Amino acid sequence: MEQLVKELKEHLIEELNLEEITVEDIDTEAPLFGDGLGLDSIDALEIILILEKYYGVKLANSAEAKPAFYSVKTLAEYIMQNRK
Amino acid sequence: MRCYINRVITAEEVSSDIKLLIPDAGVRRRMSRVIKSAVTTAVECMGAVEEIDSLDAIITATGWGCLADSERFLRNIIVDKEQLLNPTPFIQSTFNTVGGQIALLRHNHCYNVTYVNRSHSFEDALLDAMMRIADGESEKILVGAFDEQTPSQHRIMERMGLFRKCNDGEGAVFAHITATQTPESKAQVEKIDFLQHPLSEEECFARYASSDSSKLLYNNYSEYGLFPTSSAYCFAKAVKLIQDGVKEVVVYKEYLGDTPVVLIIRCIG
Repeated sequence: MEQLVKELKEHLIEELNLEEITVEDIDTEAPLFGDGLGLDSIDALEIILILEKYYGVKLANSAEAKPAFYSVKTLAEYIMQNRK
Repeated sequence: MRCYINRVITAEEVSSDIKLLIPDAGVRRRMSRVIKSAVTTAVECMGAVEEIDSLDAIITATGWGCLADSERFLRNIIVDKEQLLNPTPFIQSTFNTVGGQIALLRHNHCYNVTYVNRSHSFEDALLDAMMRIADGESEKILVGAFDEQTPSQHRIMERMGLFRKCNDGEGAVFAHITATQTPESKAQVEKIDFLQHPLSEEECFARYASSDSSKLLYNNYSEYGLFPTSSAYCFAKAVKLIQDGVKEVVVYKEYLGDTPVVLIIRCIG
């Protein structure tokens, strides 16, 4: 789990071009959208691609997105539960 | 039909920190190299990001557009077999991204158009600005041009033998143009002429220069490099020459057999 969280943060920094943010700067339990990292709807699309591209996880329905995309921790848990 | 040039800035002249010019990190992080370069040049030209509020038209020009993002988007289509395409390169690959980003910095919903007309994109943008001023539709206009070179574009142009006489180039230039003369006005655009046939240096000078002291900038590709909107750099140079005391500058540009264009910049008065 710890390794997955670190890897996820690296993908987020790379794919979302998070300038001047390091893995250590991202709070694992802080919200990704709004407060916290301050991501937006385009970033949500990028995160869907990260899940599919690197972990083969497809978002089954949009209702799952809100709790799964809350933080890096919830994203990692969603990947663990749905990875084939 | 004429207009006054208050400020002209090239990308190389931008000295302010990008974080001051584009304070929102969220906006900044999605910008590619050319978008950052063009938007910072535009903001520096306006003096401060808040000054964008005063504009009633934003007119941009590009020959190639946001080439790196376009290539990235096309590469993703091939590599990912038309699946899992990232939205950012697609959004940023559109030609009007720069004009849109400038407007979005201050939510200015004024007239916003991008000209993508090969090598005379900049002149068309300038002509649009002059026509809006002549029709009384705009008072304060930001006109700019940008183009970026990429390694693949460079390779293609090199194979076509286009760099035998001059180097490749890229850049961004923005000008703040007004309908009326202000204390800041540095020069005026007197005329834009689109020609049917190319002219030699001698023919161009004889036809357009109003006196022997006029200066002619004729196809200055050796100075700024070969790219569609390089004449925007000649336009910036013409304004500097006027500030240095030249009364009139004639800019002639003919790019790879495209329609030749002549710009006449004069001192005020």
